Amino acid sequence: MADDVALAAAGDVSAFERVYQAHLPRVHSLVRRMTGGRDTDEVTQDVFVRVWQKLGTFRGDSAFSTWLHRLAVNVVIERFRAETLRRQRIREGDDIFDTIAAPLRSRDLSMDFEAALAKLPDGAREIFVLHDVEGHKHHEIASLLDISVGTSKAQLHRARMMLRRHLGRKDSTYEH
Amino acid sequence: MNTDPFTSRLSDYLDDELPDGERQSVDAHLGQCESCRVTIEELRAVVSAAGRLPDSAPSQDLWPGVESRITGTWLPALAGRKRDAISPFRRAISKRLTFTVPQVAAAGLTLILLSGGLVWMARSGDPRADVTPLRAEEPLVQPANFADRNYDAAVAELERTLGEGRKTLDPETVRVLEQNLATIDRAIDQCHRALATDPSNLYLNTHLAEARQRKLLLLRRATALTKGT
Repeated sequence: MADDVALAAAGDVSAFERVYQAHLPRVHSLVRRMTGGRDTDEVTQDVFVRVWQKLGTFRGDSAFSTWLHRLAVNVVIERFRAETLRRQRIREGDDIFDTIAAPLRSRDLSMDFEAALAKLPDGAREIFVLHDVEGHKHHEIASLLDISVGTSKAQLHRARMMLRRHLGRKDSTYEH
Repeated sequence: MNTDPFTSRLSDYLDDELPDGERQSVDAHLGQCESCRVTIEELRAVVSAAGRLPDSAPSQDLWPGVESRITGTWLPALAGRKRDAISPFRRAISKRLTFTVPQVAAAGLTLILLSGGLVWMARSGDPRADVTPLRAEEPLVQPANFADRNYDAAVAELERTLGEGRKTLDPETVRVLEQNLATIDRAIDQCHRALATDPSNLYLNTHLAEARQRKLLLLRRATALTKGT
């Protein structure tokens, strides 16, 4: 794989296709979850075109997969930053806090979970994906999304509270 | 609705993000609150499920769209088509073709010098020129209209963007850029002056159009560099 990355950086399209094939499921899943399924294929293509353009800047200081992941996250964020002000979308998420439908109860729990994830408010979903799926820290998310650490924590908690219903629990509120 | 002040801290508790004092406080609360114990187990299950989500490939092959864009053969109608439906000739394009600013500038400068010489020979009637000077009273072609507001606006915008981002470029690159932009501008100016006396000259009109296009290309390439793309 390292050889393919080096060959691709030198302009070898065939090598780049192998890099693309190796990382496609990871990138496509990341994009799909962060965008809630909107324009997933198109954004995934944008990511790999950007990878091709930026390959020359990859110095090998980090793992290629780490470099690719960060670039993919940036492409998604740039893409949707232009559509709506992120802070506004995060605030709007409050209004539909309890609107996620009941679990689908399919045999594949991960499909239920993915469907529920797609229905989260944009801001809460992005933060949940970055933190709980991708393993970013709150200060990293705050920097990526241009929000405060407190907002990142609050939105993560909201997303988790909404999603817990989709793991077979009957409780739909968290009244005390 | 949730009225428990501890509930909002359960995620931070789970992620070990609470200061020691607060953590002990939540620990004590969990010892006596069954509802919060249930909630934190549910949250734990969500976090666990999120970490185990499987990755999956798209339902259609996206490579043809990527390949056509990186090899410069992108056509909107081809985007998203099945791989087998894409003409195999594009597979033969296996090398990326890119140029640096100095390369573009050098190529542009060479063309300008060559074609500028032809302009001079065409105007002077030099027999070595392939282009026969045309007289105004023999208008074989209609004078082109170069009063294009869109072009002027695009150039102005690019020049403005380049001016704002020039600090991000290497000084040598800036020097070469300015030198070549000045050369192109001189070529454009020469064409305008020549066309003032010979507006139907096909060569002059073509040369002017090419020089304007070269200027646009160079500006676009340079502004792209300032943005790091």
